[in-house]
Amino acid sequence: MERGMSFPYGWSLKSTRLFYVGSTALLLTLATAAFAADAPPVGPKAETPVVAKSPDTTPQRLLDADKEQQNWITHHKDYSAQRFSTLNQINAGNVKGLKVAWTMQLGGVEGGGIWSHGGLEGTPIVEDGFMYVTDGWGSVYKVDTHGGKGLLLWKMDPKTDHDWAGAVACCGVDNRGVGLYKDLVISHTLDGRLIATDKETGQVKWQRQVADPDKGEVVTGAPLIVKNMAITGVAGAEYGIRGWIAATDLDTQKEVWRTYTLPKKGEPGSETWSGTNSQETTGGGSTWVTGSYDPATNTIVWGVGNPGPDWDNAYRPGDNLYTDSSLALDADTGKIKWHFQHTPNDPYDYDSVAENVLVDVDGKKLALEADRNGFGYAVDRTDGRFLWATPFVKKVTWTKGIDPETGRPVEYDSSKQVQVYNPEATPIRSREITDICPGNMGGKNWPPTAYNPLLKTWYVPVIESCNRITIKPETKANKPRDFFTGGGPSQPFRITGSVTAIDVTTGKVVGKHETPYPDLAGILATPDLVFSGEPSGQVYALDAKTLQRLWEFNTGGGVNAPPMTFSVDGKQYVAILVGMGGAWDKWFIDSTPELKKVQPGSTLYVFAL
Amino acid sequence: MMVMKFCVTVSAAAVVAILVSGTVNAAENSLESGQAIYKRANCVGCHKWHGDGGGGYGGAALSLRKTELEKPQIMETVKCGRPGTGMPYFSHDSYPSDGAPQCYGLTSNDLETMHVAQASVFLRPEEIEAVADYVIGNIKGKGDPNLADCVAFFGDESKACDVYKGGGHHALPTPTTTQ
Repeated sequence: MERGMSFPYGWSLKSTRLFYVGSTALLLTLATAAFAADAPPVGPKAETPVVAKSPDTTPQRLLDADKEQQNWITHHKDYSAQRFSTLNQINAGNVKGLKVAWTMQLGGVEGGGIWSHGGLEGTPIVEDGFMYVTDGWGSVYKVDTHGGKGLLLWKMDPKTDHDWAGAVACCGVDNRGVGLYKDLVISHTLDGRLIATDKETGQVKWQRQVADPDKGEVVTGAPLIVKNMAITGVAGAEYGIRGWIAATDLDTQKEVWRTYTLPKKGEPGSETWSGTNSQETTGGGSTWVTGSYDPATNTIVWGVGNPGPDWDNAYRPGDNLYTDSSLALDADTGKIKWHFQHTPNDPYDYDSVAENVLVDVDGKKLALEADRNGFGYAVDRTDGRFLWATPFVKKVTWTKGIDPETGRPVEYDSSKQVQVYNPEATPIRSREITDICPGNMGGKNWPPTAYNPLLKTWYVPVIESCNRITIKPETKANKPRDFFTGGGPSQPFRITGSVTAIDVTTGKVVGKHETPYPDLAGILATPDLVFSGEPSGQVYALDAKTLQRLWEFNTGGGVNAPPMTFSVDGKQYVAILVGMGGAWDKWFIDSTPELKKVQPGSTLYVFAL
Repeated sequence: MMVMKFCVTVSAAAVVAILVSGTVNAAENSLESGQAIYKRANCVGCHKWHGDGGGGYGGAALSLRKTELEKPQIMETVKCGRPGTGMPYFSHDSYPSDGAPQCYGLTSNDLETMHVAQASVFLRPEEIEAVADYVIGNIKGKGDPNLADCVAFFGDESKACDVYKGGGHHALPTPTTTQ
């Protein structure tokens, strides 16, 4: 230590240079000193970051992600989106002893646009002990988890334009996490950018505008990295966008393909938009949940959201393809291979953005999707053929059921351009107010399901709900950046939740763990446990077979993000982001009035035995 | 002195400038503009920046551009909220538990049954008047929002108003990294 250079906070009126004195004397220039306001002061006791280089995340490693037991290197754990980890150090026998290992405060709680605060919905990514998480405004944090503690290595702040994006984000200031590609961390921002950040330094290598908030487009999902591409989905159906899925070449930064989820006039599917209003300007069909990928057939399976306007289905006669559908795309070209639509001519806002879980069982290749409309579906993922559907919510009023042959609601009438299903529980222009079950949030929303291949059981995070829809017919085309919904929901009914287990061999519900509030977190499955969280603060573990609650911990915040697990230094951890955000505490809180007490927050929790 | 703690290297002149601007900010706070209150109280959340409200996930907020309410009625609506709708009350003493009712003859006992929503921030009487003046002077009776309205609300730095310029290519922000 050079004593002559020692200043308490290293600041000097006369010098244009700054000397920080720590375990290593660092010379910071004027340019970098601006960052010091955010950085922790470096003092004699500062910890030295572990200098271990992160490995390259090759396309081959991503294909084999399920074999990297200690890691979680892609959004849904692996391309199948099963969110199943084989780690079992933490198990049904000892989970009672699970305790907080460490926590870290993140940022991004500030508001913007129509939002009073941001929240956390991301899944942490872990590669060989290095964790990458995001906050709601898209800042990326790299955390070293070695040695039983968390050490922030860098934070990349993309400087998201809060008002530009926040004014057209229907459902919160959210970001669901990153992807990894070679030496890059790939992330999105709410204001529509795809950003590549150097894993080691945290410096941005390049960025590209993929979505346009001028049109009401924002991006909240994590990118799916397939081969040399980042696949991006878009949000904005409540603003009448025309949805798409886009692939960016991560080596050349060029767009490889962009497939619109609403066909142009003349394209296959355009006959399902028979009115005079154009699906190309107002049709919806957003794609804001990360999809899955089947390498065997080189097929990306991705969920598509509701048509616009949400509740006024007379505005858009016809089945409205490919809204409310699961869509299979050729990974190299984006060409549509097959589709399966859940709610044709949807008058409920029952979108199908949910992830498709790719499962092989009894010689069948399935894609499983738990829909906002309250039914869990299995289709043959080689051709989209319907196999079965089962209600996973306690109450469904909009239909009497799903036709076991066609997979369509039994009341679906192909001779009608505007569907009414169960007329008592279907919003219609001639009646201002209609109560629907499930409510428009579901069913099952974006929080991900998990599948245990040992038990062949699929776990759904459920919103057990009804709500009230008030119709306000749309009479003209939408204005960019203005809500275009044809009405709105209100919440006169209490909403609860559950984790519901479905036996995939039979398609039947085999268990339900009921919770006082909706499950806004999502699920992690391990060999004999199921983890989830509650918006009232609890993170908990269930026995995978009995769904009995074996452990819980109250984080003191609102859990609105899925748990994940990893192992470092030979020890297993469970990690989860905590900080209520999203649509619930703005639009749906009256159905869960006690949750008004939950304060905004932004914390990473990591648990261990 | 908090300012100086975070300024790692500045000239003496800059310190003076910061202290002066701090004084200016304090003065602005005591005379907070109606527009600033409109933002702070999250009127934007339902009525939008332009006040035109409209449908959406929150239900339909009334249009303040098309409203026929006069200033005293706007002040009453902000103070008391609109029971049974999403419009919350913004004054802490609007629904007292004892004493004379201030709003619609209701007391705090009626809040739940009458579905009266409470705002996340409370405003003082002069702040309620300032935000009502802002609505009357800048929003009520105006036609469709335009570029000038938008820039007056967001300033020049956000891209929020680019849509009124016909959109187009946007300069990408410069991310920053801290280590």
